[in-house]
Amino acid sequence: MFARIEVAVRPDLLDSPAQGILRRIELANPALRRKLRWARMLDIYWIDILVTREELIPAMGEVCWDPVLQWMFTGNLMPSAAGKTGGLQDLMQLAPFRPGSFWGIERRFRPGVTDNRGRTLLEAFEIVLGKKLPQARAASGGLFLLEGTELDDEILANLAREVFCNELIETWTVVPEDGLKKNDRFHQERIKYDLPKVLGGGAIRSFSPSSSSLFPDSSFGRPETLVLDSLSDSQLEDLSQRKLWALSLLEMKAVRDHFSSPEEKGKRQGLGLTDPTDVEMEVIAQTWSEHCKHKIFNAKISYRGAKNNGNSYEPAIPSEINGLFKSTISGTTAELPKPWLISVFDDNAGICALDEEDAFCIKVETHNSPSALDPYGGALTGIVGVNRDILGCGYGAKPIFNTNVFCVAPPDYSQDLPDRLLHPRRILDGVRRGVEHGGNQSGIPTVNGALVFDNRYLGKPLVYCGTGGLMPRKIQNERCEVKKVDVGDRIYMVGGRIGKDGIHGATFSSLALDESSPLSAVQLGDPLTQKRAADFLLEARDLGLYRAITDNGAGGLSSSVGEMALLSGGASIDVILAKTKYSGLKPFELVISESQERMTVAVPPEKQHDFLALAERRAVEVSDLGEFTNTGRFEIAYAGQIVASLDLQFLHGGVPRLELKAEWKSPPAGVTSVGSVAIENTPESLRSFELLAADILLGLMSRPNIASKEWLIRQYDHEVQGMSVVKPLHTAFAGTPSSWSGPNDAGVVKPKPFSDIGLAVGCGINPKLSDIDPFIMAQSAVDEAVRNVLCVGAEFGQRESVLALVDNFCWPDPVGDPLKCGWLVRACYGLRDAALALSAPLVSGKDSMKNDFRGKRNGQPISISVPPTLLMTAVARVADIKFARTADFKTVGDWIYLLGPSELGLLGSEFLDLHSDFSEIPLRVGTPLWNVARRLYSWIGGTQGKQQNKLKSLHDVSDGGVLVAVAECLLARGWGATLTLPPERNAWELAWGEGFHTFIASLSDEEGVGVEAEWRELGIPFIRLGKVEPHDRFEVLLEGSPSDRSLLRLPIQKLRSAWLKEGYWE
Amino acid sequence: MIVQKPRVLVLTGDGINCEIETAQAFRMARFDTDIRHLNDLIHEGVRLDDLSKNYAVLALPGGFSFGDDLTSGKVLALKLVHRLGWDLSTFAARGGLVIGICNGFQALIRMGIFGSDVSITHNHHGKFLNTWVKVTPTGGRCVWLKGLGTVDLPIRHGEGRIMIASGRRAEAFDKMERLGVTCLRYEGNPNGSEDRLAGLCDVTGRIFGLMPHPEAFVRWTSHPEWTSQSARASAPGQGLAVFENAFLEANAK
Repeated sequence: MFARIEVAVRPDLLDSPAQGILRRIELANPALRRKLRWARMLDIYWIDILVTREELIPAMGEVCWDPVLQWMFTGNLMPSAAGKTGGLQDLMQLAPFRPGSFWGIERRFRPGVTDNRGRTLLEAFEIVLGKKLPQARAASGGLFLLEGTELDDEILANLAREVFCNELIETWTVVPEDGLKKNDRFHQERIKYDLPKVLGGGAIRSFSPSSSSLFPDSSFGRPETLVLDSLSDSQLEDLSQRKLWALSLLEMKAVRDHFSSPEEKGKRQGLGLTDPTDVEMEVIAQTWSEHCKHKIFNAKISYRGAKNNGNSYEPAIPSEINGLFKSTISGTTAELPKPWLISVFDDNAGICALDEEDAFCIKVETHNSPSALDPYGGALTGIVGVNRDILGCGYGAKPIFNTNVFCVAPPDYSQDLPDRLLHPRRILDGVRRGVEHGGNQSGIPTVNGALVFDNRYLGKPLVYCGTGGLMPRKIQNERCEVKKVDVGDRIYMVGGRIGKDGIHGATFSSLALDESSPLSAVQLGDPLTQKRAADFLLEARDLGLYRAITDNGAGGLSSSVGEMALLSGGASIDVILAKTKYSGLKPFELVISESQERMTVAVPPEKQHDFLALAERRAVEVSDLGEFTNTGRFEIAYAGQIVASLDLQFLHGGVPRLELKAEWKSPPAGVTSVGSVAIENTPESLRSFELLAADILLGLMSRPNIASKEWLIRQYDHEVQGMSVVKPLHTAFAGTPSSWSGPNDAGVVKPKPFSDIGLAVGCGINPKLSDIDPFIMAQSAVDEAVRNVLCVGAEFGQRESVLALVDNFCWPDPVGDPLKCGWLVRACYGLRDAALALSAPLVSGKDSMKNDFRGKRNGQPISISVPPTLLMTAVARVADIKFARTADFKTVGDWIYLLGPSELGLLGSEFLDLHSDFSEIPLRVGTPLWNVARRLYSWIGGTQGKQQNKLKSLHDVSDGGVLVAVAECLLARGWGATLTLPPERNAWELAWGEGFHTFIASLSDEEGVGVEAEWRELGIPFIRLGKVEPHDRFEVLLEGSPSDRSLLRLPIQKLRSAWLKEGYWE
Repeated sequence: MIVQKPRVLVLTGDGINCEIETAQAFRMARFDTDIRHLNDLIHEGVRLDDLSKNYAVLALPGGFSFGDDLTSGKVLALKLVHRLGWDLSTFAARGGLVIGICNGFQALIRMGIFGSDVSITHNHHGKFLNTWVKVTPTGGRCVWLKGLGTVDLPIRHGEGRIMIASGRRAEAFDKMERLGVTCLRYEGNPNGSEDRLAGLCDVTGRIFGLMPHPEAFVRWTSHPEWTSQSARASAPGQGLAVFENAFLEANAK
């Protein structure tokens, strides 16, 4: 029977979900919020279960209703479940304003969208009714019930669109008061209508592999063939565009030539194939997509640099580059042979040795395009997707931590939005929830991250999701990194089912976002299904039930099976055997769908029985799709009929090489680096410094890029798995009313219960510098990532020190744009320069090259490109977690030092963003001094942590400069400090400048003298700035005679509230 | 002579995700532990008698069983009741001990272990919250908390607000107080919980559930302030005492 179930929080209790929506309305539209006087949020369920009324009614009560907290309305099924009428009227009568003006907005998922609560609801009914319910259906939705003044259909429609729903995945209906009071929504026919149904393209039939006739309609499942031979160049381009293949003309021609070669024709004839089928074209398009093949990073590039006009650091970059990946990424790692590197660049993640027994792996992905359309789903699938990279890395690893970095426009963006773009506040809220659900529900701690704000991320937000994993170095007597497949091994798809979600994800992300971007590119994640699959697969790994594993990400089966086929020399699958969410999927859709939560494994035939038995016991669905072969071809059938047969060599090696032009014009105004020549402090510039310093510091503390992210961090579980050592925040007086938290530089976890070895993970990202020179930007990102892990106790500089880097480029499209390509070249060489200088190999990376938006704003065309953005992630070993460190000053009386060369410049600084018209002193940029850096970093991270332990705190000087960094070390305990700046250094640059290799450190009074002597002896530059004081003021003086001059004096409390920026975020 | 250590059954499956660190905490308290998937126990038909015979302790770890869909811990509770059919009160009466941590605690509440007048719902601020709290045992009924003073522990939940049936609030609460069910309270109130309640036990004091995570503070280096007290870097964390109490109790039997 059909039922509709409405569950409300009891009217006398706080309705937190409704309050949450009201808060979101307030942020998005304060005027509308003022019109709303009362709101409740109801969960709605629609079910269709073939059992009797007598069975269903008690089960409904048990599954859906908590009498202490809730009222439940079911039409006339359970009249006694609430107050008098057993309907919404009971709730409405208790609203504080009567007679009120009531409205409802009901939302439900579009057909085919992942509905996790609906799925769980059915499982719950199966548990309670004690039987499988294969034919049953269930869906979940919500009803936002509100009361207010001056509301109408249009206002509520806007509310639905702007706050309550994402129309890509949900539909909504506004229900006026009289509709709410009626009971017709409980009628059987109405529920039948309300339950979402997927209507397939043409043939909607339910068939099961066991039924005798798979094809009631014999044309269904027969592939379309595409005659390419007769097409002109422009027709080939049109076809590629129309089909969303994202193949260039050159590539289309290569495909045409391949299929028309006599040799290939001969091979295909025997299989009954002629021209390429749509399945084949789709597989090629996926495999050759920028997303999968990194054509830009492999392109031949001719680079033309600028004449050196005044810029003092011009690097040597060749004019002919034989692939940036080879020259600057893998080539760099090849020059840094480390005994602990196990597998780099040829798996889903980089694998490094942690110790003799265990290895760790690391991968960072981007999920920008999906997150632009549906921030929640995009970020959620981003995080669970990169988790699968780890599960599918080597023999299979266990995810042990997540990282996430978001780049978005500032939440207070107030100009008109271009069509189809979401407001940055919505983006931020959505991606936050996505990572929260993806990470928290999977039981993986989020240990590190960053938020970067720039108006140019309006067109495409950047969502970086990273995961680290752990696995034994030997599994089943095989090295953990070995991927092996034997001919005859069965091909199993494990986990989720296939639907239309995420079709063309890989090719879509290889195109610019525009108004016509496809809806099917959006996916929602199901963390529970993935958690079950992950638990099952790790268990199967330890039992030796599979031989090789990979994930289904971009390109779906076409990529996972297509790539694994290389290991045995071929594969043959029948996609009708794949479990699907609904019927009616075409063969090509089955092959390229990016539906989530799926892994592909090779199961030796003799292990099949045990593999299937374990899967059944773990309630994990698996599909036997076919077998690995050595035919040299990737064969795909649909119900026994061949629909694709692709030559593996052509598929993986046939993509024509891209040739690009790159050009660099000198930076804006002939940038000079800070160097060792100080700009003199003139009396006028000191006076204006003194006048403005307090406001500047408070302004910087509350810049979105600097201000506290505690509101975000605490919504992520950063401690699950019990390995936490250094958290994203340090906290003083935890659990008391005076509890206060400040920022740490990186996270540290203790991955093994019986070893004190730790892993530090940190990041560096500095897109502001791209506007000056992407070469420096990349150097800075590497340096910052390394400094961050050094701060928390990473080892450095010894032969055995483990420090691995991961690069993630997010670029505006460099194809056909020599300037953007020039930026890319410079960033790659900057990255290479820094990695070599710090002897830190790159182990994994990913690039996203189409971060542009083209659309309309107020009817006018507009295009927005992200600033060239490189995220560097550093993962390093901490020899002994007992010597890990945090950033906070620990004790009154400790000395505060500026440690490092401190050649800090105002160009590219947060200060200059705040005061763009600043002209007191010339603007210069900080540049690296790698020799000094190596000495300093080796001192900090050397000798197994013994020397490290002398530093009581360490914090890097980055966004905002020295005074912001010192303030951040003071916030948690609330103590004060008095700093004295040396008069020979320019106060502006020293206070607000940003640059390389510089830290704020603290030492106890006893250690101070001895450590200073060590630094002098080693040639490590430092300035003793002052002391942690027992008062609650932050004071900055300029050393002078007869007395010091006061430049700044601020109560810590003021710095705290500026930094918290309460009310701004959510 | 080989003395057999008492054993703990740690449940896993369906989205439970703290089973490994929970088992580790019990091991540090000298227990033997088995981490078992719910479906295996159902499949093998493990009955209450088997449970009592083989295990001194049953642990329901934290996690997101069934994705917290249909309210936290709900479907896990239904599965325990309908598919395993274990009567935990009988298990406790026979000398067994039960702990439910975070999601495990939510499931114990949904099973009615602490009476039908108590429930648990969204934090009053509506957000998931990971922070450290101070909690203090009250009442002295709970064997898991014997001898404990105020301890620091992390909380990591979106639904930790303990609620008492509003219609019968006063008498229901008085009864719980009288029976010693209200056994653990926060300093301050991080989630709006009734009377600052962080944990509850049954009338025997042997079935204990709490929102904070004692298994996440078994070494001092987990504490958010440990770097300020680096001399304690090798010390055990304050959560370990909970598991050690269980060991003393299991051995006293």
